[in-house]
This record gives sequence, C-alpha cells and structure tokens, in this order.
Amino acid sequence: MANFDTLSAAAIAAGVKAGDFSATEVARAALDAIEARDGEVQAFLQTSAELALEAAAATDAARAAGEELGPLAGVPMAYKDNMHLVGTRTTCASKMLYNYESTFTATCVQRTLDAGATPVGKANMDEFAFGSSTESSAFHPTCNPWDTTRVPGGSSGGSAAAVASGEVPLSLGSDTGGSIRQPASFCGVVGMKPTYGAVSRYGVVAFGSSLDQVGPFGRSVTDVALAMNALVAGGRDHLDSTSQEVPANFLDGLEDSVEGMRVGIISALMEHEAVTDEVRKGLEAARAALEAQGVEVVEVELPNMTSAIAAYYVIGPSEAFSNLARFDGVRFGYQEPNCTTLAEQTALSRAHGFGAEAKRRQMLGAYLLAAGVYDKYYYPAQQVRTLITDDYRRAFECCDAILLPTSPTSAFHFGEISDPTQMYASDLFTISNNIAGNGGVSVPVGLGSTSGMPIAAQLQGPAFKDHTLLRMARALERSIEEAGLAKPGTVAPAFAGKGGEL
Amino acid sequence: MKKLQEVLRDWEAVIGLEVHTELTTLETKMFCDCRLSHDDEPNTNVCPVCLGMPGALPVPNRKAIESIVMAGLATNCEIQPRSYFYRKHYFYPDMSKNYQTTQGPVAFCMYGHLDLEVTGQGAKERPDSTVSKASDGSYVAPIRILRIHMEEDAAKMVHVGGTEGRITSAAESLIDYNRCGTPLIELVTEPDLRTPEEARLFMEKLRQTFLTLGISDCSLENGSMRCDGNVSIRRRGTTEFGTKTEMKNINSFKSLHNALEYEICRQAEVLEEGGIVYQETRHWEPSKRRTVVMRVKETADDYRMYPDPDLAPFDLSDEFVERCRARVPELPDAKRDRYINDFGLKRADAAQIAGDPATATFFEQAVATVKDKVVPTVANVVVNLVPATKAVTSAQVASLSSLLAADAITFAQAREVLEVIDGTTMDPEKIVDERGMRQSTDTDALSATVEEVLARCTDQVRQYKEGNKKVVGFLVGQCMKASRGTGNPKLFNQLLRERLEA
Repeated sequence: MANFDTLSAAAIAAGVKAGDFSATEVARAALDAIEARDGEVQAFLQTSAELALEAAAATDAARAAGEELGPLAGVPMAYKDNMHLVGTRTTCASKMLYNYESTFTATCVQRTLDAGATPVGKANMDEFAFGSSTESSAFHPTCNPWDTTRVPGGSSGGSAAAVASGEVPLSLGSDTGGSIRQPASFCGVVGMKPTYGAVSRYGVVAFGSSLDQVGPFGRSVTDVALAMNALVAGGRDHLDSTSQEVPANFLDGLEDSVEGMRVGIISALMEHEAVTDEVRKGLEAARAALEAQGVEVVEVELPNMTSAIAAYYVIGPSEAFSNLARFDGVRFGYQEPNCTTLAEQTALSRAHGFGAEAKRRQMLGAYLLAAGVYDKYYYPAQQVRTLITDDYRRAFECCDAILLPTSPTSAFHFGEISDPTQMYASDLFTISNNIAGNGGVSVPVGLGSTSGMPIAAQLQGPAFKDHTLLRMARALERSIEEAGLAKPGTVAPAFAGKGGEL
Repeated sequence: MKKLQEVLRDWEAVIGLEVHTELTTLETKMFCDCRLSHDDEPNTNVCPVCLGMPGALPVPNRKAIESIVMAGLATNCEIQPRSYFYRKHYFYPDMSKNYQTTQGPVAFCMYGHLDLEVTGQGAKERPDSTVSKASDGSYVAPIRILRIHMEEDAAKMVHVGGTEGRITSAAESLIDYNRCGTPLIELVTEPDLRTPEEARLFMEKLRQTFLTLGISDCSLENGSMRCDGNVSIRRRGTTEFGTKTEMKNINSFKSLHNALEYEICRQAEVLEEGGIVYQETRHWEPSKRRTVVMRVKETADDYRMYPDPDLAPFDLSDEFVERCRARVPELPDAKRDRYINDFGLKRADAAQIAGDPATATFFEQAVATVKDKVVPTVANVVVNLVPATKAVTSAQVASLSSLLAADAITFAQAREVLEVIDGTTMDPEKIVDERGMRQSTDTDALSATVEEVLARCTDQVRQYKEGNKKVVGFLVGQCMKASRGTGNPKLFNQLLRERLEA
C-alpha cells in the first residue's frame, strides 16, 4: 500500500474500522518510521513499542469481536514527556526525573487511549517545559524536520517534530505560554491550545498551573478536531477541579462556511520590530485567504498585550517555583548521593538535578513571591491579567476570532538565541492567550520567502468557543490550500516516505 | 518564682490561642479520596495526590467545607462568601509537596466569638475590675475569634536515634503519610484571654462545641485537637503588648493551664529582674512543669504565600450556608439553658451534661421515660454516679432515679445498686427488692421508731433543746439503726425535727 505518513489520523481510524488494515499493521508502520527517521529528528525520548503493540492488538481484537471502535482507533500517538503513561518513564526532559516511572496515566493520555489510540512513545521537550526551542532538554536536542540545523521550537518541540516528520499523525503537547502553537508554527503543523479548563491537567507535570493547557498537534485542522473530541469526551474530569464541561463535537460543522463571520486584526502588532518580513507576508496571505472565504476583517485592539510577557514572567515563574518544590530528592527522582543532612540532600539534589533554565525560573519565582516583593510584582501581574482578559472580552464583542502571527520569526538555528529574554520574546503573540485563558490555534500558511521554513498564522477565539475557532482555522487552511500556499497533511519533505510502509 | 495570683495583681497577661482540629469524623482526606485513619499500617492510605507526586492535582473535600462552615456558625463567625486556598511553602518532608495548602488573608470563617462563664476558684485568677463580676466572683468573658481557616495536616515523622527526637541528629527519619492531607481547621483567637483559666475554659468550650457538631473526636491526647498558646504580659494599666512567647506540646487542658501559668510567672520574673523576654517558641515539659526554649524566632519565616492556582476561588452560596446552618445541632449553651428552664436543673449540672454530647444524649434518653419531678434526680445521677460506671443504660438510670426521687433508696444505696448492675441488663428495682433495700416510707411505723429513740436518748434531746441542732444527725443514725436501715433517713430527719420543735 502507501506509506502510513500519507494518511491522516482520520483516514487511519477509518481504515482500521473498515478493515483496510489492522491497528497492529499501523503500529508497526509507525514504529518502523520512528526507527528510520528519529535518528535524525530525535523527537522521542522513549518509544513504547510494547505498549503500542498491546494497544493495537486490543483494538484489533475489539474489531474482531464486533465492538464499536473509538474515533482514534489505531492512530499512533506521541505524548509530551510531561504526561504520565503507565509503562513509560515521565522525565520532563530533566535529570531530576531521569528514572521516574509513571505511577498513573494522565487523564488526557487515557482519553486518547480510550478513543483507541496507539501510544508509540514520549516526546522530547524543554526541561519541565521551560523554553521555546527544546534546547533545554537534559538529554538531547530535537531537530526541525524541515531543516535539521534548526530548532523545532518549544517547549513541545518533540511532539511537533514527530508529527511534522511523519513519525505519528497526532501528538499531545502542553502550552503554558505558546508551547504548542510556536513549535507547530516552526514545524509546519497545526497545533491547538484549547481554552483553559477544556482539557484536564491531571497527570501532566505542572509548570504554571493557571496557564498550562494540553492540546493536540496534527497535520490538518480536521485531525486536531478529531483529537479534541477524544480529549473532551467523558466531560469534566473530577480529578482536576479547574476542568470544565465542554459539550462541543469539534468535527460538527467544521467544513461549514464562515462567510459573514468576522476576524479581528491588530495592525500595530504587525509593526513590531521583532516580526520578520516573511512572517508579515504570511499573515497577509492568511488575511487574504480568510477574506476569500467571505470573512470580514475588522480592526481590534489589545492595548495591554505588550504587558503580557512581563505579567507572564511573574506569574509563570511564581507558579513554577511552587510546583517544582516537590522535587527534593526525598521520595522520587534524582537524589544526590552521600549527603549527611536533609538540608544538604535537598539542596544538592536540586542543584544537580535541575538544568540552568529550570533553576533560573524557580529562583525568579522564589524572589517574586518573597515577602515585600510579592506586592510589587505578583499582585500587579494579576491586575494586568484582568486587564488583558478584559481587552479580549472587548475585542470579541466585534469579532469571532483574532488573526495574528504565531511567532514573530520562523524556526531559528541551534544556539542562535542565547539571551533568555530574547528567547522569551519568541512567545510575544502567544502568551496573552494563556494569560487570558482563551483558545488559540496555529495553522501553516506556507513557507517563508527568506528562510524557506514554515510560517504560520494564529487564530485566537473567545473562551470556550474552541469549536468556532477550529471552524475558522479549517476555513483558513482550506483557503490557503486553494491558494496553493500549503497543503494539509504535508510531511517535511526530507522525511516523507522514510520507513513506515503500510 | 511568684505565684500566679500574685503576679496577676501587678501584671496583666495577654493570651491568644491557635487551635488545630483534625476533622476526624470525615471519611476521606482534604484533597483526595484516601481514607482517614490513624491506626492503619504506615503509608497505606496514600495516593499520588497526598504523596505530592508530579502531575497530581487537589480536589477539595466538600464535606470538610461543610464542617468548617458549621464550626464557624457555631462560634458566631461571619461565613465569607468568597475565599481562596493558598500555598504556604516550606521545605520539609512531612509536607509532600513542600507547600501546605491552607487559606490566605480571607478564611472561610471570620470574626466570631465565644462567651466564657468563669466561675469558682478559676474566677479568682482574674483580680482586675475590667470585667463585671457577680457577687460570687464569677464573670463572663467574651472572647473574639479572628478566623477559622481550612488546611491540610502534615505527615507524621519519627526520628530514630540521636537526641531529642529531632531530625538533625537522627540516624534515620521515618515518614508516615497516612496523616498527610488530613482535613484540619485552625481557629485563631484575638488576644482576649487574660488568665490560664480562661484559656482552659475556652479550649474546653471549643471542644464541647466541636464534639456537639460531630466534626471531630477532639482528642488532645491523640493530637486530633492541638493547641498553641501565645502569651505576653504587661503592667496593669498599660495598653502596649509585651513580647510574646509561643507554647507548644500542649496535650491536655491541664497542660494548657499549667504551661501558661508557668510562662506568665517566668516572664514576670524575667521582667522584674530587669531582663528581656525573647520572642521564641517554647516547649512545655509536663513532668518538670516548665517550658523550655525550642527555637528563637529572629525573623518572620517567609512562606511565600500565594493563591493556589489548582483550586478555584470558593464562592459559598447562601443555600450552601443555610444547609450547613440547618445541620448545626443545639449547642451546649442553648442546651444548658433549656435544661435549667424546662427541667429546673442546677446550672452546674445542666452545663456539665450539656457540655458533652454523649452525656446529653444519655441524659435525654433517661429523662424521656421519667416523671417531670424525677428529672433533677436523673441529672444528679448522671453527673455524680454514672461517670464511675462502665456500662449502664439510660433505662437503668431512669429507673434508679425514680427510686431515689421517691425516697425508696438512699444516694449511697443508689451507688451500690449501680455497681451491681453495671454491665448487666438488670433492673435496679429488682436488685433493690432482692436485697431488701427498699426503704420504708410508712410514717406511722417510722414515728414509732422515732418515739422509741427519743425516749432513750434523753441527753441528746436536751442538747437539741439547748440549741445544738446538729445533734439531730446522731438521732437519725439511731433511728436508722433501730429500723435496721429500712427507714428513710430523710423522713426520720423530718419526723425528728417535727417532734423536737413541737
């Protein structure tokens, strides 16, 4: 037949259901593709062949028994390595958790398994999700499948690269300040950060609890919608008290016309010095593509958006300091040998278990929450949060979604950005979304004229209107395809067809 | 050192209490489904949440919130419509996440009060005239409650080897996480208490209240109710607070009283000798009846408190609060007043019975079957005889009290009967009859005995008539002897007096 990387997740599930091929055959193809491609891409920290084949066999057995198969039947999936899956280690790409075996399975992972997915492995990431390039992984970097001298973005770089290189059709990542959308943009795939609360965080190692949100990567909006259905199926997760009921079926009306709907643009943002010409052009193409679908473009304002990074680097590190306090080498994870006191063991386990960026963020958080400092930073940051949320509320009074770049640049080279604050700026257009809690999705709009690397547009929607947001994203994708700029389902050319024959 | 009463003539003590109460009557922990139990094998009631495993999230225990709201209502607090959980950070293995989930500036319950009735010897501890005292010296002290907040308990640690059971010198330290995450409510009083007796009474009243609510077993011995006492002293007539010390290891009402008494006297001695009281935590040593320094607080600990992003703000609806209010049973003070008004009980008896829910229930069961005029006798038996027994039923007490009230047996005989029937199902009437204890109330027969005794005790009769009325006791004794104990002493007394006064 064909190489499995030519199939969408939807096509795989349909094929398995129809008996065109078995889930086991698909699993073997995926493992084969990973074997052939991951030496170069290094998207995975760990593959789980045994789990994959077991799950696939179970799917095949269910089909043989005449049972109804789930919407992700036989679809190979990769999971960011901050998500627990029993039978795998969950390392968060940190020496601190180098040997940590998952003791339970995260709700988001379990829901994809319940939908019939085949778990093929755990994807690389920035250590504890601190970063925008996956370079801070304690184990190895991940390469951008479009140009292996460049980063895949981050922090969910492994999840994005695995999908872009055709190793899997779907993966999960987590997005605290842009960690799904930015790598999706860099790797030319679709990445969605749902509204905060739409997907359970239970079993995902926390970075910034009020910002973190799990979402899918796919090579098309349809596949992302398919994955979203699985993630919200079963309703509110009673194990995550911040999770909410999301009733929408994201495939319903996905192809419907968006004519007459309105998309907001923020002209001033496009003038930002960090935005490259090719990104600006990509966004113009996206705007034209939406207009071609009958979407009305209106000018909106998010006046406090420029304060989002400042607020984020107060709230994020404060929560990170607190969430990472439990890594003390006492009960699990890296434990410094030969210590004589508890204080020494705690201090040295943390000093040697965490990498530089993880330490930087925790120290920042410890400072920001200190008595006397808290009132000067944390409290105003929360006030800024309210202002940004209000900005969005006002903006969405006159549009259904806001169109903006995902990242100011396309994928950069390894080592190109060494100044942390410059790295932080790469989240310029994604962070305000996490601050306000509403949904955002990154859609490829073609290759950059200068870099030849994928460029993406980002659509942000009102909270809990992720269904409409995906419909708008699908319209954009369709229109971009019609314009001949990018084709849904595209695998990075260098890897397409390498291993993975089905 | 000077005696307390002497010290308190010159100095005024300012005492505040912090009382921790474990909600032992709940079935599960504060933020997870683990069973609450102190007796199980170590580390058997644990899960990812209470062990602070990465990726685990807290879900609040609704019943614990109901309990604290009931506690607030019973102590006249204002129930806050919105409050938050906070994270309080400190690195120590007894708190698995290295932060404790507790409440911030706004607790579920704020600004309550309890009124203490201070009577008898205890009232003498307070020599000042800032409270209005009744003719017998008793007074009412209104004690304000600052707040009651909800939090989770820490794990239990045992330090093996070394000295003082401290971690610094231990050969090994063992942690039992069964207790970790136990729902705990902390009540903080305003510094309104002025004597150790008031502090003791406050604790006692609080315990009675919580027992009546059924929210805890309130065992000071087992540590399900724990109390820290803060005390400072100042010259009478001044209003500035002195430097306070904090008393730990108080595991009985007596310890609370004695530790505060010692500490007040110690501080007075230090100050009178020109010394300085340091702000420090002191450990009460009951065997040596003294407090010793545990640690000196040079600077305030920085716990980096901030709102827990895993737990949404709590909005308590009026309906929720009203449902809790409906579940608050009759409280000890109201019960006491009802006993006095409806049953004509003595205040002390009424307060003692009403103060203990088990005793009150027993008492009410017993009085349900007796005639109204027997009720005070039931109270008398319940207060004075029942505590010495192991297992008597309310029916037995009702029957016995009826015999007593009818003067069929003496109080001494009642005690004897109780000893016999304790732990059996025997009816007191039967014992009384079998043993021929029933006393004659046949006035004619008793009068004959009286005549006979008066005829032979001419000396005593003369003494009585000369004004020595006490001699009637001897004559009653003679009558009892003559009737071989079958005559009712009260009746003999009455008949003798009638004859002698005639």
